[in-house]
Amino acid sequence: MKQLRYMKFRNRMIPIFTFVVLALVVSSCKDNKVEQNNEPIVIATDQFHNSVDHVTQIMVHDIFSPPVASRIYAYPNIAAYEIIAQRDETYRSLVGQVKELVAIPRAADSINLPLAALIAHMDVSKSLIFSEEKMATYRDSLYRIWEAQNPSEFIAARSYGIQVSDWIKEWYSGDFYNQTRTMSKFTVDTDDPSRWQPTPPSYLDGIEPHWNKIRPFVLDSAAQFKPAPPPPFSMDKDSDFYKELVEVYDISERITAEGDDSEEIEIAQFWDCNPYVSVTRGHLMFATKKITPGAHWMGIVKIACKKDEADFNKTVFAYTKTSMGIFDAFISCWDEKYRSNLIRPETLINQNLDENWKPILQTPPFPEYVSGHSVVSGAAATVLTDIFGDNFSFLDDTELPYGLPVRSFESFNKAAEEAAISRMYGGIHYRAAVEIGLEQGIKVGTWVVEKLEM
Amino acid sequence: MKNRKFLLSMNKLLSLFFLVLVASSCKDEPLQFEMLPASRSGILFENNLTENNELNILDYLYFYNGGGVAMGDINNDGLPDLYFSANQKGNKLYINKGDLKFEDITQNAKVAGNSSWNTSAIMGDINGDGWLDIYVTAVVGINGFEGHNELFINNKDNTFTERAADFGLDFQCFGTTAALLDFDLDGDVDIYLLNHAVHTEESFGRAQIREERNDKTGDRLLRNDGNTFTDISEAAGIFGGINGYGLGVSVSDFNQDGYPDIYVGNDFHEDDYYYLNNGDGTFTESLKKYFGHTSRFSMGSDVADINQDGLPDIISLDMAPEDETVLKSSEGDDTYQTLKMRTEQFGYHYQYTRNMLFTNNNNRPYTETALLSGVSATDWSWSALFGDYDQDGQQDLFISNGIPRRPNDLDFIRFVSSEEIQKKMIDNRLVDQQALEMMPNGAMPNYVFKGNGKGSFIDASETWIPSEKTASGATAVGDLDGDGDLDIVTNNINAPAGIYVNRTNNTANYLKIKLQFKSKNTFGIGTKVYAYHNGSLQFKELFPTRGWQASSEPMIHFGFGNASKVDSLKIIWPDNTAQTVHNIATNQSLTITPKNNQAFAYKTSSKQLLFKKTEDNLGINYTHKEDNHTDFDYQKLIPYQVSDRGPAVAMGDIDGDGKEDIFLGGARNQQASVYLQKENGFERHDYPEISNDSLFEDVAAHISDTTFYGSSVLTVLTGGNYFTPSRNVLANHTYSPNLPNLGKVNLIGQLEISGVLAEADSLGQPFDNFIGNYSVPMDFGKLPLSTVSDLDGPYSTNLEIGMVTDAIWDDFDDDGQTDLIVVGEWMTPKFFKHENGLLTEVFPIDNDILGLWQTVIPFDIDEDGDTDYLLGNWGLNTKFKASPQAPMKMYYADFDDNGSTETILAIEKNGKYYPLLGLNELSEQLVFLRKRFRNYKDFAGKTIEEVLGEELLQKATVFEVNTLTSGFLRNTGNTFIFEAFPLELQTAPIKAFVKYDFNGDGKESVLAGGNYFGVIPFHGRFDSFSGAMIDSETKITLGNQLGLEMEHKSVRHLKIIEQNNQAYLLIVYNNEAAQIYEIQK
Repeated sequence: MKQLRYMKFRNRMIPIFTFVVLALVVSSCKDNKVEQNNEPIVIATDQFHNSVDHVTQIMVHDIFSPPVASRIYAYPNIAAYEIIAQRDETYRSLVGQVKELVAIPRAADSINLPLAALIAHMDVSKSLIFSEEKMATYRDSLYRIWEAQNPSEFIAARSYGIQVSDWIKEWYSGDFYNQTRTMSKFTVDTDDPSRWQPTPPSYLDGIEPHWNKIRPFVLDSAAQFKPAPPPPFSMDKDSDFYKELVEVYDISERITAEGDDSEEIEIAQFWDCNPYVSVTRGHLMFATKKITPGAHWMGIVKIACKKDEADFNKTVFAYTKTSMGIFDAFISCWDEKYRSNLIRPETLINQNLDENWKPILQTPPFPEYVSGHSVVSGAAATVLTDIFGDNFSFLDDTELPYGLPVRSFESFNKAAEEAAISRMYGGIHYRAAVEIGLEQGIKVGTWVVEKLEM
Repeated sequence: MKNRKFLLSMNKLLSLFFLVLVASSCKDEPLQFEMLPASRSGILFENNLTENNELNILDYLYFYNGGGVAMGDINNDGLPDLYFSANQKGNKLYINKGDLKFEDITQNAKVAGNSSWNTSAIMGDINGDGWLDIYVTAVVGINGFEGHNELFINNKDNTFTERAADFGLDFQCFGTTAALLDFDLDGDVDIYLLNHAVHTEESFGRAQIREERNDKTGDRLLRNDGNTFTDISEAAGIFGGINGYGLGVSVSDFNQDGYPDIYVGNDFHEDDYYYLNNGDGTFTESLKKYFGHTSRFSMGSDVADINQDGLPDIISLDMAPEDETVLKSSEGDDTYQTLKMRTEQFGYHYQYTRNMLFTNNNNRPYTETALLSGVSATDWSWSALFGDYDQDGQQDLFISNGIPRRPNDLDFIRFVSSEEIQKKMIDNRLVDQQALEMMPNGAMPNYVFKGNGKGSFIDASETWIPSEKTASGATAVGDLDGDGDLDIVTNNINAPAGIYVNRTNNTANYLKIKLQFKSKNTFGIGTKVYAYHNGSLQFKELFPTRGWQASSEPMIHFGFGNASKVDSLKIIWPDNTAQTVHNIATNQSLTITPKNNQAFAYKTSSKQLLFKKTEDNLGINYTHKEDNHTDFDYQKLIPYQVSDRGPAVAMGDIDGDGKEDIFLGGARNQQASVYLQKENGFERHDYPEISNDSLFEDVAAHISDTTFYGSSVLTVLTGGNYFTPSRNVLANHTYSPNLPNLGKVNLIGQLEISGVLAEADSLGQPFDNFIGNYSVPMDFGKLPLSTVSDLDGPYSTNLEIGMVTDAIWDDFDDDGQTDLIVVGEWMTPKFFKHENGLLTEVFPIDNDILGLWQTVIPFDIDEDGDTDYLLGNWGLNTKFKASPQAPMKMYYADFDDNGSTETILAIEKNGKYYPLLGLNELSEQLVFLRKRFRNYKDFAGKTIEEVLGEELLQKATVFEVNTLTSGFLRNTGNTFIFEAFPLELQTAPIKAFVKYDFNGDGKESVLAGGNYFGVIPFHGRFDSFSGAMIDSETKITLGNQLGLEMEHKSVRHLKIIEQNNQAYLLIVYNNEAAQIYEIQK
């Protein structure tokens, strides 16, 4: 494993090195740029990956909840996709297929579409994250290179990219996100023993209780794939619900006893994908921050594209379709979460089984049923399988920067299954949420695959 | 020139520059305290901390709590000496050589100590030989810390022998400090050993885990059994749980029964403990009964009689910053929801992140007034020490503060820490120096407050003490230079100890009293001294372990201003014998020994009080129960709840039997109750028409014997901040027995949140009915229309008066025609003059008094024969801040253009307006602020104009409040002039008045009630007002002296019931059971 990590870091050095060389070239060319400033700008596929990666890093810094993060991925991808789709017959515009999207202005023939797509991607992303200056710094470093390479080509592409970006911003401003910001908080009622309540250590309010009001891309409605309800709440020792509760506790006790040897713990931690884990040491508090489930699957898209040697347009397509699936999956999932409002295992185990028990993963701040990671992974894997085929094996190194190992998977579906069950190992979900959640995700994914002609 | 503000604009900097020039040019006014340099004193001690990768604040949460300091005369030469403990190495004992010169005798004295991590140092005569010994607590058993608490027994020759083991005091726990007291009055000195938890349990856990004793963290009560101490904690009822983060301990005979009691301050979510000594060797923890709320991250505490009533008052410190920039970049209070869970589900008490000042009410709950008294926010505070530092006869207050790194910095929590720390986690090293460096420095100037003897303080730091920024912790006071005034010594982290030499000198008179008690309690610990001069009382108790990890000079110190003699001193010795000495000259050091002392009997009050709770409550078994609705879940930024104005109460003859019945409204989803008056008491009667309306939140009601329906009519006004499309649940309605089945009629067009219904006594005029509306559902800030109408005629008109809370029909101009007076929030009281069938608004108050008015009643308070009006307002015990020069502002607009409105409050500080709340709270509603301010540093210290921008502020409607005091409108003939009530009536919002001849002297008085809880934890809980009887402007008596128990409950209505020639007081609370008191004329 150490070996792999080392390899990875070495690999990551290369683009930086290239950049330094480029920068050197640029500065050394300053005197004779008249001759140098009309070379065609060629956008490498990696540059799109880099842009997505950058958005991921800013999101980790800014801290966005998983549903909000899914929105930040989807719209920039669509902006890029709509640009490249207009000149590549392999791909079809989403206009008419997703809600309220009006055809973007057509690009003049001279416009460098990949360049415009990348610019639009960065610009829409910048509008959705908080730390705009971080995106701007990254963007400006690229702008300087392109401007030096070919000012007229760059300026035309930028102008068009920004035009499309504004178009997409106008579109997303109608998705009810703004309105949901000021809607009511989740009302805690601890008199109802089945009702979700905030969990240690931060006892945060339930996040995004109105996410089901967000306009989906493809779903008819948030409740289209409404899952079967969870087993009826009961503290009767013979009830299904109680048995599932005890199962979470038993698994946790067993694998904790195994300690570092436990593959289940490794799996739980690998798929944690919690953007904000609060750590308290007395008066000192801090957060360890990771990527979200959606971001993890964006990482898998990148891995798949690279292994598949996908060209720029296919890469944009893969990101777009997967992120749209994830976006709708969150809406579908959150609709159920704040319908069933089910209490987390941690609360019940502390109340009924073991006062001092703590789950292996920190319980995220929203109701239990169904498991978000399961729904999202089911949807993402279904879309990816449609694009790259089943039994597409891959090495998943997405979590390396967060100190987690590489895991290998035979297929996207296997990865999704592992992501789902990881939530039980982590002690934050019951079995029903994981199994039914995965099914729900597959349904959302299948719907996206069938409904969208891209 | 002292400077507490860090972010200064250029202008400010310039003016500061000039001020500095000015300040330095008038050096002739020296500070009250001079800082003695180490070079002069010879005190080279510094508590230097060495942090490394193995030991830092991440490994040990109390890494920055500092060492200890003890002041006392160890060689009985009359000069107090100093012992400092250092956390890691280098405890020091300095002998006072006189003339403020000290000599380090640590080496020869053999008191350097051997523990790895020392905490407090205290001095006391442990073995009862008349010589002070030294006890040093240690933290042992974590992070490789070794050693034990050390007891240095005085060999009477400037050397000591460590004998902790011999005395059974060699504990290996997580020690904080030790307090000396003779709890069983057996004549020797016992010890309360305060330990602290270190575990970082991240969930609250049930409060009851305090009952499971833990050897390392549990506090211990150690009984002195001759030459050894016995741990009797469990038998004595002392908690010792793993959640006992004990940081502060104060001993005093709080309930004045002759037995010393103990207040323990616990950090984090664990409650503070208030141990009342049962006198039989056991204690009863009674916090919840006597304290409505406490500090949250409780640190040091101290006790003194600050209001000269002979009763010990308490301050408990926390870490609320005063500085705007620090305040807005530090983690603050809990959310509403978290506090609710912690109190209701886990069983903890109400705790808020600020200092708390509790004044003693003689066995009634304490009154908490830190905000009102001006001592609520002193940043990261450790030690509080009361003392009469300027010797004017009133207690002042020194507070040490500062921390080398602020671990609760919001940027560190959210942004800085993670990226750094995460890298370390990969290497299995949690943190390193570089990550630690990213926590902002929290060194701060210490505070000193001058007391006024009435419980209030003003910040005298600028003129009294140097403004050096330090991390000062343990503090001791005493007279180092023998000039009679109190000098102050602080133990500082990574800096020389602070020696503050008091320069009061002979500008004011003092008395120092050294007590020589018999038996083994040689220093007379626990002795009470009452000093009387010029008709004023000062009260002190000798408990030298005070403040924070320290003990002060074991003597009693009084200041007497320019009085040359004290009329008398009453001394009550620890064995509860008393003696009195008369005519004592001031400016001397007095040694008092027991002489002619007589057994002292503490008063047990058996005086008949005006009010006595009835046992049967007259059959009224009514508890108002609020529903689970929280307005802040919906309108996150409104200043206070809107939907907790109930319950409605009305009295009148419902069943037509000539007796007054009572209607008690329900909260949403709660049935209203009707109690019919019978021969003896009341009986609940179920009217299905009324019970069926349980969906309504009843906030006001009125029963009239109007002729409208030919019999009595019950009108119920509704409130509750709910959004329903039809707003049907907000329909006001009437019931009348003359309609079929007490038939109900909805009043047309009444779909706002109601405030009040006022009906004039004199019928037949064109209008006699006023329905004052309070707010518009889910749109706080939009003004509703109120209605004036005629009950028996068609007249009705709507007026936009404001957020109406109360109204009366009263002839204010004495012209024989009944006028209308309306009060409400964010408005001035409004007068509508009635003249021949016309109501015209007139303006008889000399100035606009924009308040948060809750209630109004006519009453001739100044006894001059005309009618004045008493007005209940928000009070001054609050973070709200308003004055005519700098009113509090509320901006109301749809700031984020999403179709729903917001309100944002701003208050003035140093000439600028700042949003009251922080970025977390504001951005929860206004997400765009997260984009505007990517970190807390950028937001902190920004004015409201900078936060929202001129453009957004332009579109807002601005509401103002310039008066927060409750008070009265003095009738001067042609105008009314507002005058504030005294401070004891400003401790909480006043919500209700009732006028009655309570004591049967033929003259009416007004009883006031209040308290309010509908605010976010940032504001705390206004729970301390016990009610007040207002007989006249000069005669006001608090409810806790009259037999009333209104503390910790929120009063909504006060009513008088007369039955069988006996008068009763009905008190109706929000979310509580109603109470009936017998009025014992």
